[in-house]
Amino acid sequence: METIELKQQLKRQIIEFLNLTDTVPEDIRDDKPLFGDEGLGLDSIDSLELIVLLNREYGIVIKDLKEGRKVLVDIDTMVEYIKKNRTK
Amino acid sequence: MSRVFITGMGIISAVGVSLAENRSALRAGKCGVILSARLPTRYAGILPFGEIGTGTDELTEKFKITDPGITRTTLLALHAFDDALSDARLTAAELSDPGTALIGATTVGGMCLTDELYRDSVIPCEGSAFLSSYDCASVHLYLQGRYNMQGFTTTINTACSSSANAIQYGARLIKNGLAGRAIVGGTDSLAKFTINGFNALQILSSGICRPFDRDRAGLNLGEGAAYLVLEGEEALAGAGVTVGESVATGAGGSAGKKIYAELTGYCNTNDAFHPSALSLAGDGPYLAMTGALQSARLNAADIDFINTHGTATENNDEAESRAMVRLFGEPPVFVSTKSYTGHTLGASGAIEAVYSILSLAHQELYASLNFDQPIPGIGLRPLQAYKNYTLRHVMSNSFGFGGNCTSLIFSKVS
Amino acid sequence: MFYIHHISCISPQGSGAVGADLSVGPVGAGGLVGPVGNLLRAIEPKYEGVPGNVLRRMSKSVRMGVGASLPLLKQSPDGILIGTGYGGMEDSVKFLKQVIDYQEGVLAPGPFVQSTANAIASQIGLFNQNKGYNTTYVHRGFAFESALIDAGMLVREQPGSSWLVGGVDEISGHNYRFEYAEGWYKKEDFSGRDLYTADSPGSIAGEGAALFLVNDARAGALAQVKGIATLRGEDENDVRTAMALFLGRQLPDGKKPDLLISGENGDNRALKWYQLCEAVLGQDVAVTRFKHLCGEYPTASAYALWLACTLPGKGSSPQTILIYNNYKFSQHSLILIERFL
Repeated sequence: METIELKQQLKRQIIEFLNLTDTVPEDIRDDKPLFGDEGLGLDSIDSLELIVLLNREYGIVIKDLKEGRKVLVDIDTMVEYIKKNRTK
Repeated sequence: MSRVFITGMGIISAVGVSLAENRSALRAGKCGVILSARLPTRYAGILPFGEIGTGTDELTEKFKITDPGITRTTLLALHAFDDALSDARLTAAELSDPGTALIGATTVGGMCLTDELYRDSVIPCEGSAFLSSYDCASVHLYLQGRYNMQGFTTTINTACSSSANAIQYGARLIKNGLAGRAIVGGTDSLAKFTINGFNALQILSSGICRPFDRDRAGLNLGEGAAYLVLEGEEALAGAGVTVGESVATGAGGSAGKKIYAELTGYCNTNDAFHPSALSLAGDGPYLAMTGALQSARLNAADIDFINTHGTATENNDEAESRAMVRLFGEPPVFVSTKSYTGHTLGASGAIEAVYSILSLAHQELYASLNFDQPIPGIGLRPLQAYKNYTLRHVMSNSFGFGGNCTSLIFSKVS
Repeated sequence: MFYIHHISCISPQGSGAVGADLSVGPVGAGGLVGPVGNLLRAIEPKYEGVPGNVLRRMSKSVRMGVGASLPLLKQSPDGILIGTGYGGMEDSVKFLKQVIDYQEGVLAPGPFVQSTANAIASQIGLFNQNKGYNTTYVHRGFAFESALIDAGMLVREQPGSSWLVGGVDEISGHNYRFEYAEGWYKKEDFSGRDLYTADSPGSIAGEGAALFLVNDARAGALAQVKGIATLRGEDENDVRTAMALFLGRQLPDGKKPDLLISGENGDNRALKWYQLCEAVLGQDVAVTRFKHLCGEYPTASAYALWLACTLPGKGSSPQTILIYNNYKFSQHSLILIERFL
């Protein structure tokens, strides 16, 4: 799948999985931090949920939150990681 | 307002099915957290649990239960409750007195019936024995009915501080003249529901938990139940007991009643930081401990010992440590008894109150297990060996999901 | 015991006052919302001031609890006390389904965290950064009464303090299915029918959040809660005696309340309890019912208290109102209030 398509797909999946009802894919800039006040405002429970999303949609296993923090920075880093590690 | 005394206790946990057995294990430093193969979960034999060895069938038979809807959570409660009543030598008349309240706590309730609940939630069977057992209220409604208790009864669920809150609510009923006596406590059994919930939050340790240790890696879930009989001055006078006459170790007063301790302080606060984590500065715990001291009219220096919440998660132990340092400067000697029992969730407040009172009654302290190195930057070390100790006032802390923080203070009755 | 100063409610009838005429006629008459099937679902307002990011995880009961708390939080309560019978059952089963579907594998923790019964009270506290007393009672038909009793103690223990107290429950699909299987709800479709003349077992399911700001100040109060009694049992003599004792203690010299707000719920098996209460009070006491407005749920008595506070006072003197509610036959609660003008 093309990177652009994958980014769009991932944005849609994040919105759905985290129930971000006020957000559309266009609101999520590729390099906008997912966490923290400057970003989408996600929190630690969301990071655990995103790890589950990566597992269910892409077959990726992230052992723990420490590892997760390196991957769950923004859409760009997530997509790079998915491309390298996906098993689905 | 009336003073409130503890005149009876009953307990069942991973380290014992009686008060005596629990105390023996604590004195011996015997950890009850094991890799069990009995639990019907994928994690049996993989994650350690503070599991009670007594099977559900054994408990069912012991109490001659024929109703299949009585869950393990209720059976554990029944065991500890029954012991507490005997320990306090409560008569049937005292139990049925409208002035005797029952304040219970549980977070699991009937959710331990994971498979039945799933089945019923898809297609509930009209004849299913469990439909009215799933909620938290079912446990203490059952106890109330079984023991024909006519007084006020309620159930509290504030996650891990539930039974500590049950204790302070019961005490306040007595102090406000709304009850003469209150049986207070809580219960929780191991359940796929909570095992998987905590696992999803990545706060379960794959090894035996290490409270306050630099390398702690999460908590071990446990199960258990504990109940305390609280009696006010009037109720004791009615039983012919003069406060000051009888103490702890069993030499009873004129009615053969023990007075283990007095509940002298309590406070509940809200950390208001995050649904499942404490603020790192430990605001909620700090405010709860401060409030408990104020309610007991004590200073920080008066506290001789703290039974901490000490779950061994990164978050709790750091937050709790910072709160203790903030309040006490140099905190008094402290332990986490979760290193023996695991985290018994809704029962933990009551179980740890019982342990705190045992310490007070016998003037002894139990080791905090599995500790090696302190948390960097904080440097606190729990007690690591059993010892005799002069105790006047002890504090017991319980902090739950949603930031619910409760601190209790028990004092020796002179 | 304590005074009610501010009230807030989210119910199947919306969030505003129902009006003096609590039509008991065919449901749907007089602008009242009736059940669909036999479910009365609460109408949620737009939750102004609550960010979508915060709302997104919440179950309906948490949303309603937080939403109904908003106007009252402006009064800076010292703490929050919530009664909920169903708690977070919906989220519990959502999480449980994951446990089964994914065979205890990699699971999303959101519903587990939201499923705790104290999620309502703690989310209100979190939203408001309220670090005070925060508690949740879950004792079915006494959950709200337990919170009220606690508030009464707090007001006494801490003069000058004020507290946010409420009862919140949502129709969880799972609770509905369990209770339907146990026979607690009408088997027949109840849309457009009169709840109180059907003469059949079961009631209609309801939900809602009713919250109150209470303290010890008489000046400016809407009402005073003078007494609360809870009784468990199904012996008619015991219940009759307990009711009479409560009234005798609260209203000496044989005085009677001006109004009974009755929790009659259309279940013909429960009718005897409401008739027993009316008999204890005698014929001169006016009776009004409320479950056709909110449906049946463990903390419906909170809605009744809210209603009592919205009814206009009669004449120049306060109105004495008794609320009697019966939950699943064996839980009886009495709340006596004095309604000021």
